[in-house]
Amino acid sequence: MIWQIMKKQGLMLFRNPVQLLLLVGLPLILIAILGTALGGTMNGESSPIDVKIAFVDHGNEQGQIDRFMNDLESELPREAVEGIQEGTSELKPVSTLREDVLGSENVSEIVDVQDAAPAELGALKNDDSYTAIIEVPETFTYNMLEYMVLDKPEQPKLKVTQNETREIGVSVVNAILEQYQEQFTLGMFLSKNGIDAGTLELNEYASTGEVTTVNQKNPVTAKGYYAVGMVVMNVLFLASTIGSIAFHEKKTHVFDRIILGNMSHWVYFTGVLLSGMIFGFFHLLIVYGFAWAVFGIAWPNLLAFLVVSLVYAMAIGGITVLLTAISYRINSEVITSFFSGILATLMAFLGGSFFPIGNSSELLRTIGNLTPNGAGMSAYIGILRGDDISEIGIHLLFLIIFALTAIVFAVISFPKRGISG
Amino acid sequence: MIELVGLTKKFKHNEAVKNLNMFIEKGEIVGLLGPNGAGKSTAISMMASLSEPTGGDVRFNNNSILKNPAPLRKVVGMVPQEIALYDDLTAEENMQFFGRIYRLRGQVLKRKIDEVLEQIGLSERRKQVVRKFSGGMKRRLNIGVAMLHDPELLIMDEPAVGIDPQSRNYILETVKRLNEERQMTVLYTSHYMEEVEYLCDRIYIMDQGNLIASGTKEEIKQILSAEKTISIKTNRLNDRFLSLLEESPTINQVVAGEKEVTITVPKEINMFPKLINLAEKVELELRSVEVKTPTLEDVFLHLTGRALRD
Repeated sequence: MIWQIMKKQGLMLFRNPVQLLLLVGLPLILIAILGTALGGTMNGESSPIDVKIAFVDHGNEQGQIDRFMNDLESELPREAVEGIQEGTSELKPVSTLREDVLGSENVSEIVDVQDAAPAELGALKNDDSYTAIIEVPETFTYNMLEYMVLDKPEQPKLKVTQNETREIGVSVVNAILEQYQEQFTLGMFLSKNGIDAGTLELNEYASTGEVTTVNQKNPVTAKGYYAVGMVVMNVLFLASTIGSIAFHEKKTHVFDRIILGNMSHWVYFTGVLLSGMIFGFFHLLIVYGFAWAVFGIAWPNLLAFLVVSLVYAMAIGGITVLLTAISYRINSEVITSFFSGILATLMAFLGGSFFPIGNSSELLRTIGNLTPNGAGMSAYIGILRGDDISEIGIHLLFLIIFALTAIVFAVISFPKRGISG
Repeated sequence: MIELVGLTKKFKHNEAVKNLNMFIEKGEIVGLLGPNGAGKSTAISMMASLSEPTGGDVRFNNNSILKNPAPLRKVVGMVPQEIALYDDLTAEENMQFFGRIYRLRGQVLKRKIDEVLEQIGLSERRKQVVRKFSGGMKRRLNIGVAMLHDPELLIMDEPAVGIDPQSRNYILETVKRLNEERQMTVLYTSHYMEEVEYLCDRIYIMDQGNLIASGTKEEIKQILSAEKTISIKTNRLNDRFLSLLEESPTINQVVAGEKEVTITVPKEINMFPKLINLAEKVELELRSVEVKTPTLEDVFLHLTGRALRD
């Protein structure tokens, strides 16, 4: 019986070309449009963000390094000093910041760094075109070497003056400086411990702080990101489509005929649930299959991909049966219309389907991950990045709990139809 | 075969069916008449075990279906007022789906589908999706689906509403044939009096949730045996004329239309001189005065004070 209901559901979806186009064709079109239009920003290829930084060095880096070494020689035996010199020959904190970080190819595409003399500071602070002024204190290099080589407790700080009217630019500068600190500290650690720094390359996109990973895993391309974003959003509409079909069955008394066939309404309920799950699963496979064929979006871990798809399809089944149960309960299609017209789009927005909203605040990231599509998206992105199942386990767990909760609420809401005897 | 005993259905703000008592014997075609909102659909929904009454009982072969609806469901076929079909499936796929719901399988199902499609005249269209059917064809398939499992009792809720006269005749003939050839029991609801007059042996009339009359066609028409109805057509009706009619002690009922007024008077009274007199008094031109033989429509008008299709 359940099979009959699912077969009928499948035929009805398959016979409706408009619905099919919306469910399968639309996400592909959106992946192409969004992936191309926003790809530059997300991949760091080009950026609409214009950041201008003034770089003011109050000291002399090489002079301070020489002074530090001289001071060491007067305090330590020659052999110890030579050992330190060998290990720290590359330690040039100001040059690292100015040339390796701010002057790197990726950063220089979005950041324009202007060297300035200390005397120009007053004028620079009144120039609104600057996003930030980075000042290197006079003894910064010397103090940094003391901190890193001699383990002095106080870490020297750069002085950064930010133009708060340029919020996005300021966040970019902060991200760059954090990156610098990580890179420099790590470099020092490796150097002191005799590890070749070449074995460790910091991610080329890390400075954008957006979408792409800040660890050592695969970067996610814009098309990959939007393939996930559009698919997890679009499959939500499958739930409302099946929910609408189910309510239509009630409205036209088809459901009455099913009840008169002495079929339990729970058999029907299970048929709707499984339809949502199984068609949702195939919907995911089909659209991702197209995305692979057309845009080359491949999954590094196929098993993890299938597990996430299966679990996400469970959540879709839960939404399908919940929408059906509520529409049966209130005897109106308003809930499926509200879901497909407003709620799904809002969930997609919060879940990050349109842009990585979670990067703008931790709260939004948490809220996004509390939507089924957001959790599904995080899990899929994790796989694209190279995570294994255990690393995305929290999202899978959430999806399973969400699916079960939706099913329980649907069971409670689904009205008893007819005399049960 | 089936009996409704004091059947009642109360909703939050209204009582749709009030203490309804009726019965249907095996092999009968029984009509349930009433205007929209009379409570017919609610009553048959309870009768078919699709909704639970708030009072009373439905007894099938002397057993309450409230405790065990399964025996009734096995032998009942339901033709809802709506087209309860899947538009995107073909006629044959619809039949296969509902046949499986009725637990028909394999060759038995195939044979039944062929047979029913033949009966409703849709064999040639079996592979066509229902969406492309005319209204009449959809109605026929709607009936056909209910016949798949050879029901003993067919409940038809306005099965011919909104279709062309040719399709309606086809449906009426099909129902008549099913009853004659298979002794199928039929409950036929309609607000088309002529359908019920043509098909039914006995008739129940409902209005505003109440059963207001029941019996054979002849018995019901007897309600008006002591009276006659006179239809008066004028160039235009005026209020004074209507007031005079209503004040007349010999006239039992006055129902006014736009240019026509129907009055009910005792059979023995000759109203012509009086009507002419009244018309002259208010300077009204009478176009025609016609004494009518009572029809079920007149009975309904008499009982409720309004026309069946109002």
